[in-house]
Amino acid sequence: MTFETDAIRITNLEKRYGATVAVADLSLVVPKGSMFGFLGPNGSGKSTTIGCLTGLLDPTAGSIEILGEKFTAESAPLKRRMGVMPETLGLFDPLYAHEFLGFVARMFGLDEADTRRRVTDLLAALDLTDTRKTLAEYSTGMRKRVAFAAAVIHSPDVLFLDEPFESIDPAGVAAMKQWLRRFTEQGRTVFITSHVLETVERLCDRVAIITKPGKLVWQGDITVLANDGKLEYEGRGFNSLEALFLHLTGERYSDLNWL
Amino acid sequence: MNWNLIGELIRLRYKLMWAKARLRSGKIALFAIGYLLFIMVIALLAAGGFGAGVVAIQAGKAEKVCQIVLSALFVNAVFASLLLGFGMSAAFSEAELRRYPVYARERFVARHFLGIVDPFWLFMLALELGLVLGLYGYGSYSLWDGVAAVLLLLACSYLLTRLLGEWIDRLMATGSGYTVVVVGIMCLSLAPATAMAVFNKHRDLIPKAMAVLRFSPPFGAATAMTHNGLEMFYGFAMLASWTLAFAVLLAILERRPVGQPQVAREPGSLWDSRFDRVAALFGPAMAPMVGHWLRFYLRNRRFRILYGFSLPLAAFLTNNTGRMGRGEDNLFLGALGSMGVVAFIGTSRIAVNQYGYVGGAFRRFFLLPTDPGASLRAGSYAAVFLSALWIPPAAILWAIFAPRPLDPRMIFMPVMNAVTAMFLFHGLGLWTSLYAPRRGNYDKSLGNDMSLIGNIALIGMVLGCMFLPRVLDATAPWTVDPENWWLTLAPAATAIVFYIASLRGATARFPARRERLLAVVEGRA
Repeated sequence: MTFETDAIRITNLEKRYGATVAVADLSLVVPKGSMFGFLGPNGSGKSTTIGCLTGLLDPTAGSIEILGEKFTAESAPLKRRMGVMPETLGLFDPLYAHEFLGFVARMFGLDEADTRRRVTDLLAALDLTDTRKTLAEYSTGMRKRVAFAAAVIHSPDVLFLDEPFESIDPAGVAAMKQWLRRFTEQGRTVFITSHVLETVERLCDRVAIITKPGKLVWQGDITVLANDGKLEYEGRGFNSLEALFLHLTGERYSDLNWL
Repeated sequence: MNWNLIGELIRLRYKLMWAKARLRSGKIALFAIGYLLFIMVIALLAAGGFGAGVVAIQAGKAEKVCQIVLSALFVNAVFASLLLGFGMSAAFSEAELRRYPVYARERFVARHFLGIVDPFWLFMLALELGLVLGLYGYGSYSLWDGVAAVLLLLACSYLLTRLLGEWIDRLMATGSGYTVVVVGIMCLSLAPATAMAVFNKHRDLIPKAMAVLRFSPPFGAATAMTHNGLEMFYGFAMLASWTLAFAVLLAILERRPVGQPQVAREPGSLWDSRFDRVAALFGPAMAPMVGHWLRFYLRNRRFRILYGFSLPLAAFLTNNTGRMGRGEDNLFLGALGSMGVVAFIGTSRIAVNQYGYVGGAFRRFFLLPTDPGASLRAGSYAAVFLSALWIPPAAILWAIFAPRPLDPRMIFMPVMNAVTAMFLFHGLGLWTSLYAPRRGNYDKSLGNDMSLIGNIALIGMVLGCMFLPRVLDATAPWTVDPENWWLTLAPAATAIVFYIASLRGATARFPARRERLLAVVEGRA
């Protein structure tokens, strides 16, 4: 049992697919009320880790605690306190946005009146008011907004967002960032993956960086960057998250003469 | 025409197939293909193929036999493809091929060349080649003319099937498309029996019909195979004209985009949904999930076609299988089987592959604060509910057309058989959904997206329903005697027990299968 100060505690997490190791011995603590950035290059195991953290995948070894309780795929009461925006969005294409959000809200235990109110509010706030289109007919950005709405509709205590800002227009991103900040100010936690390091640097207060295969190489507070401070790694200072990320994940440049 | 690039695409297709064959499921498929090849050899020699050729020579009516056999094969190929989805799967979509530097006509050729080498069309070709070999071996007909004629005929039937398929896809995307397609299928289903009745009554119409049919592709092929000189040229010209016309029409139709499926908006406010009202019958815990699955089924074009087609199909099967044997009692035997088919054919495609059409949304079920198996159960409840809705109308129709005097036991027994088939099939569907999933295209109106095991379950159940009553009538007639109506209670009860056990068993195994299912439905396996 952890203290309630930890929103997520991962201990020696391992995920294998046969002989392939997707996540190796990952241990991580995410404090409650933090905006936590989870970074890594493509194929490093970020989505696999989120899969394990949200009950989609069974870890091969290790344990996960969320909000002080042991988490498994069967932890329905804990899932009620979690919101997830998966990488693939997980939308039921034949439904209309209000039907999909209504379904998710009811599954998370909201009553009829709350469901209607929140769905209406979210659709208006996310500019999803065209009720003549099914989700299949929505643009990528609109689909992403619906997935975001589905993740927050039940006011979760922990929010997992896998690449939330890709394909969304700047106005939408700005609104989402504001909501997320308010979310953490209320003591709730956001666990976010993104390849846009500038966004992570401005939005998150803590960051973990993993490399292949799902191995933690750095974690720490990045708020120092806002005060012109530096991120430390093995005695060396980095003045941006990008610089540290490239250093940790391997700066590679091949000169393609024919390009 | 860039044949090099087309060749590369074709090679890629077979590389992908070979890559799949290295997996366990691929090895099963490879075994199935080997089995199919064996069947093709048999088909080559069977009554429809080589045997027909021999009969044609012995009867001295080569052209007439060829006309009949080729017409039957042509019609069966088109209908089996459209209704059962055989030979309709595309190796590459147009959108996929657009990534490569190939022109529209090259993409068209590559897609359709890969389409026509599907095992189903090769099976049809084997039957037709059998006829050619029969004519060549026992008569003095040219082998190469015959081969050329059946190859053209095969291309013709393939292109017509594709053309109809594309047209139906576009029709289903319009508001009234569903009604038009279902009415069309109903008319076509009833056409053979109606035509037979008309020709029996007015025999003078037969020569007139034959004169019209002379311009059809199978008759053209028959002429090309069995004549020399100008008549042979006429046969080939007709075949080539049809093939070209279908190809041109198909190319034109494919250029017109398919509209988004028309999903009927319900009257009233956003929140007044008949789906939710019906789903509420399943209790507050299951209602949202059942409501979701009801929408999933009822907004699926393929489901709507098959569901609408269920009753006409039952009427067709009752009539056809009922007249296979002797006396009016056989209609009752037909109804015993066809009522069973009604109880699962509509939901069959999705029921045996419940998550195959969900795609990435499959993840959503595991993010919900409920036991993951709830989605499997809810999907099955929705399917059983929708299937059960057809049993009363089917029973009423049977009561109207059943032989007189009406014996209530002859209504009760088919209804019990429908209950048996419904629970048995949907119980099987739970297992095939878990252990034999296949990624399908939700938006397609036609085609066969089921796995091999799914196909076996569906075809096995249909054949079982059709022929089991006849087998029982021949071997143990007391089991289908209305006097022993109560006997049908036992299989119905057993099927219900099997269904309940399957719900429990499949739900318990669902979490362990989810990673595999995820890989399949997201196209990573």
